[in-house]
Amino acid sequence: MGSSYDEVKNALDVPSEFVFIILLPMLAFPLILYLGMKFNGQKFWKENLKEGGLVALPVMAASLVLSLVLIRRFINETSVSDTSTVFSWANFAWFTEGATTEISLYSLNFGLYVDHVTVMLLFVASFLCLLINIFSIGYMNTDEVNDNKNHRFYAEFVLFCSGMLGMVLSDSFLWLFIFWELMGLCSYLLIGFYYDKPSAAYAAKKAFLTTRVGDVFLVIGLAMLWNLFQPYASGGDALAFATVFDHSNLQMLADAGKQGALQLALGFMFIGAVGKSAQFPLHVWLPDAMEGPTPVSALIHAATMVNAGLYLVARMFPIFGDSAMMGEFSDLAFIIALVGGITACMAALIAFVQMDLKKVLAYSTMSQLAYIFTGLGAALWLANSLDWGEYPNKGIVVVAFGAALFHLFNHAMAKGMLFMASGSVIHEMHHAHHDLHHHHHDDDHHDDHGDDHHDDHFDAQSMANMGGLASRLPITATAMFVGSASIIGIPLIGGFWSKEGIIANTWRVAVEHDPRFYIPAFLVLITAGMTGFYMSRMWFMTFAGKPKTEVAEKVHEQTPWIPIPLLVLIPMSLAGIVFASLKSTYFLGYKGYKLGEDGLLEGFLYEMDHIFVNPGTNYLLVLTYIAIFLSMVLGPCAAMALHGGRLDEGQKAKPWMQWAVTLSGKLNDKYSFAGWAEKMSESSFGEALRQRLYFDKYYDMAMMKIVAGFSNLSASFDKNVVDGFAIKTIIEKGGQDSSRIIRSITTGSARDYIMMVAVGTLAIAILLWGVN
Amino acid sequence: MLDDFDVITLILLLFPFLMSIVMLTITGMVSESSRRKLAPVWRMVSLGVSMALFIVASMMFTGQIGGVDWTGIGFNEYEFLYQYEWISSLGITWQVGLDALSFPMVWLTTFLLPVTIIATWDEKKGAVYHPLILLMGATLLGVFVSLDLFMFYIFWELTLIPMFFLILKWGGKDRKYASQKFFIYTFTASVIMLLGLITMYFSMPSNTEIAMDNAGEYTGRTFDLLEITSIAQSVNAGGIWLENLHLIIFAMLMIGFLVKLPAAPFHTWLPDAHVQAPTGGSMLLAGVMLKMGAYGMFRIPATLFPHALEHFQFILMLFGFVSLVYGAIVCLGQTNLKKMVAYSSVSHMGVILLGIASMQPIGWAAALFMMFAHGIISPMLFAVCGAFKHHYHSMEIGAMRGMAKHSPWLATSMMFGWMASLGLPLLAGFVAEFLLLIAYWHEFGWWILGPGLALAITAAYYLWSMQRTIFEGGEETQPPKEMEGKPIPDISDMEKVAMLILAGFTILFGIFPAIALDMMSDWTVTMFQTLFGGA
Repeated sequence: MGSSYDEVKNALDVPSEFVFIILLPMLAFPLILYLGMKFNGQKFWKENLKEGGLVALPVMAASLVLSLVLIRRFINETSVSDTSTVFSWANFAWFTEGATTEISLYSLNFGLYVDHVTVMLLFVASFLCLLINIFSIGYMNTDEVNDNKNHRFYAEFVLFCSGMLGMVLSDSFLWLFIFWELMGLCSYLLIGFYYDKPSAAYAAKKAFLTTRVGDVFLVIGLAMLWNLFQPYASGGDALAFATVFDHSNLQMLADAGKQGALQLALGFMFIGAVGKSAQFPLHVWLPDAMEGPTPVSALIHAATMVNAGLYLVARMFPIFGDSAMMGEFSDLAFIIALVGGITACMAALIAFVQMDLKKVLAYSTMSQLAYIFTGLGAALWLANSLDWGEYPNKGIVVVAFGAALFHLFNHAMAKGMLFMASGSVIHEMHHAHHDLHHHHHDDDHHDDHGDDHHDDHFDAQSMANMGGLASRLPITATAMFVGSASIIGIPLIGGFWSKEGIIANTWRVAVEHDPRFYIPAFLVLITAGMTGFYMSRMWFMTFAGKPKTEVAEKVHEQTPWIPIPLLVLIPMSLAGIVFASLKSTYFLGYKGYKLGEDGLLEGFLYEMDHIFVNPGTNYLLVLTYIAIFLSMVLGPCAAMALHGGRLDEGQKAKPWMQWAVTLSGKLNDKYSFAGWAEKMSESSFGEALRQRLYFDKYYDMAMMKIVAGFSNLSASFDKNVVDGFAIKTIIEKGGQDSSRIIRSITTGSARDYIMMVAVGTLAIAILLWGVN
Repeated sequence: MLDDFDVITLILLLFPFLMSIVMLTITGMVSESSRRKLAPVWRMVSLGVSMALFIVASMMFTGQIGGVDWTGIGFNEYEFLYQYEWISSLGITWQVGLDALSFPMVWLTTFLLPVTIIATWDEKKGAVYHPLILLMGATLLGVFVSLDLFMFYIFWELTLIPMFFLILKWGGKDRKYASQKFFIYTFTASVIMLLGLITMYFSMPSNTEIAMDNAGEYTGRTFDLLEITSIAQSVNAGGIWLENLHLIIFAMLMIGFLVKLPAAPFHTWLPDAHVQAPTGGSMLLAGVMLKMGAYGMFRIPATLFPHALEHFQFILMLFGFVSLVYGAIVCLGQTNLKKMVAYSSVSHMGVILLGIASMQPIGWAAALFMMFAHGIISPMLFAVCGAFKHHYHSMEIGAMRGMAKHSPWLATSMMFGWMASLGLPLLAGFVAEFLLLIAYWHEFGWWILGPGLALAITAAYYLWSMQRTIFEGGEETQPPKEMEGKPIPDISDMEKVAMLILAGFTILFGIFPAIALDMMSDWTVTMFQTLFGGA
């Protein structure tokens, strides 16, 4: 043992100038709001500054550059400064009663902290914030519904970015939570961006409240955590990572027999993560959150904020990995994996029947985040229960943890891209519908054609209205294709490497150590096949076959700005193999391994060998092939047979997609089990899936019937009993006489009263003076 | 610069007092028509006086006046102490001074006065209204600066008078009932408190037993709080001061303060008073007047009877617990916007009680910070309610939807205030809540689920009310009937200024709570050490 966990905890001392990564977007928030209020409607503001889009852009670019500098420093470990505390938030005292009664001083500080978990998420956050800013300029500013409202969007957008970057960089659990809530606020505001839509207002409230339930547990968990580490942090910050991760502190805690209490605190904090990352049973808010504009869905509800819960759990890794806590937290690790497994499978099932393009992606997000939770659960179990000093345990732990984080990276890139691509589809569908509508009604409806095209009955998000878009939206279709492949885990593409790692490690724990893990292990394995189905279903329904509506025929890519982030992210999603060759899973799990130490080819061969030949453990090799079969063959083929089809005559997709379209057409012709699918869809199970397994219904019912009912009862109790009976009936009726006297001198004139007071005071003063 | 300027406390108190009396007297003497002309003048004078107070108080805060380092003040040490012999026969002195408990409240009062005047710039009968607000502020300052129990009680009751008139003259439909209920309810409680004070006065040892500087010539006892505190401390060091009576006196005093706070089940005067009170009255009532209860608890019973505090710790916690949780649940059942905000005050005052009951310096500091933070946030809530009523002629939640469209400023202010009140981090309210939870978990363990539940419910009622005011308002919801055909106005420029000031300070104390928290925390430490003998 000894050195290994210390290396895990090795963090860079960050010069506090890097606080500008957070501060720049935070300061841009009031600036954009102010400029918007002042210049809305003016041409320069609208055309040249894109109503704030081009104010936000350089800010986000600066944040990205600063982040990259910081990441570079971390990798190279060049600069070391001895302070990272930016300012002291609260100082206070604590009273300990015991053998020696004493008062000690504490503080809660804000500072910056960068380690191997941070750098990856820091890159993901700042990189995607910039790309989605670019996308937003194309998406938001070309829709006249948003005219003169975009400043609000960009202001809330930059505030969100500062929250996300702040959460990643902060050096204590408290400030992690503070920025976490700031993101929650922005999420609320942006989901409710179209505030006059009742559904958006409802969705915003639902999102905030559901995550708030988790946050309450998180904040209680923090209170518990502070109390646990308080004895070892005299004069300092008991919630700082430096204190909480410190081996000697943890050792003292273990010696005091507080392992159970620590597990409880971490468990409470995990409930917060469940809410934020939309996991069972607090998952209900995420699909509704798609009411927000698509860039918001891409950034907040797919690529960054929902990762906050994962980040929080990943942050606990050094505590789990500490030798002082060895074997103590296996229950919590199992619960984390189990919640992940259940959510993964449940969300994938619900995604089967969604017709709304964004909702499919939302459930897919939920399911993939659940994968990461399962992976983290397995990694934390390994970290907690294995003796790091024995070969090859250290490597196993590091790879397991790295795989979960690597999946976070792959998922963020792919899902951010998928959402932007879906936004592109929706946007172009809108445009096409708008043009068509305009054309048809040119004579009689000229005035109000564009007033509010959210109100007409055409659903631009429904896949039932799409079809055959592969040739009409080549860039978007490619992005969707690659993104879906990455999420499904098609071999050699992005998500494959990490997903295989997660499945393998969960099985490893189940087979070799803790049989309870068979449940999540089995769930994530079958979910791999289900992912293959619903992602393929989405792609083929949207892009293959014949256009299902007139609108879909007219669609073509025309909006500027939108393709840029797609083109950037396509290689990022494909590049999984490059990162895998760099042994990034080792790096992410453990700072001791450097990126690119061995050279790309060597790394590539190592990874290929590791995944496909796997000399050590036979069952993992079998597992790999089962997973590949399920996700690459069974799922997509079923989807192709059901929803595939050739494009229109004369339409041809790009060659890298055309083969899939053609194949789907063949499969569709040959094995269409549409009758069976229809029967399934009409069954009660199909209905239950469409109703999202009734969670929303029962939660709403509980809220409306129990909570609202009880509160109304309390309100009337307060009015009729506490006030009505006790005060009005007993005291007031009993006090009629005194009130009558007061009423008789209540002349109603302010002058009289003031005179009375003055005279009375004077009289008392004279009287007392006389007595004196 | 003005290093030895102790008399400033006295000036701080008397200047607004006399100015408002002069203005009210002149108003009373002139005719109806000249009153109308007088209104803008008195408004400017009131604003000027209150601004001057605010500037002086802020300069005292930064140390430019008096050169005080507020973080260095220990328990029972006072700055700007000014003593004048008043009624020596009974041991009553005119004694004013400031410490880290009272000074934040004094600063808060001087801060809220100009903000209130600005927020209710166009209130009717301005020639009386604005001086009355100033008078209200003066009496509140009196409560916080006086260090003589007799004086304290006089100012304590004097605060009722301007507030009574504010509710009675500028209130809503049921103002008569509400103002009388407010007056009688709190007055009755204060009388019990007074009886407690008198019992204490006569049961304490006389100057024949203990040496006293300010003992009354006839009674041989004193109302001088500093002196009583030192006596109590010296007795408490080896035993219990007023051993056979301390629990009863403590309980009597606490009744007065609990009603003022108010804690459930003594809270029912508050919603009535708030709903009927004019905006300015509500702002001062929620902002400062409620804190008199918490201030009093720290100043008198906790200071003098620490053993009784320990004895009643659990009961106090229960009062706080019920106020917090029950208050929040009742909030959720309200349909009237202002009533909801009023009940939210009950709920937040519960946090203060929990802080006191936690018996930790940090819990006490959290309670002090809650008094301060709620004093900035709740006026904003009531200013929003006032503007809502003013523009939409209704207080019902759901009467007016889609405010974000019609009145973006009001909608933004509302959302800001609501978010601050539900404890969003980076805003002032969160600081107190978080520090409290730390102390609360330590002291009461799983009882923490109650405050946790309250946190969630608080979010629920605020979000639910925002959903039906700020949001929605598409086609299916219309503005209230009276509003039809009229343009829907946003808040006035003066109201905007007031909202911006309140919001700015909420953010300032949320991100840098240490500005105010440091002095509170240092003071509570020395208080704790003195009372409970920590090393």
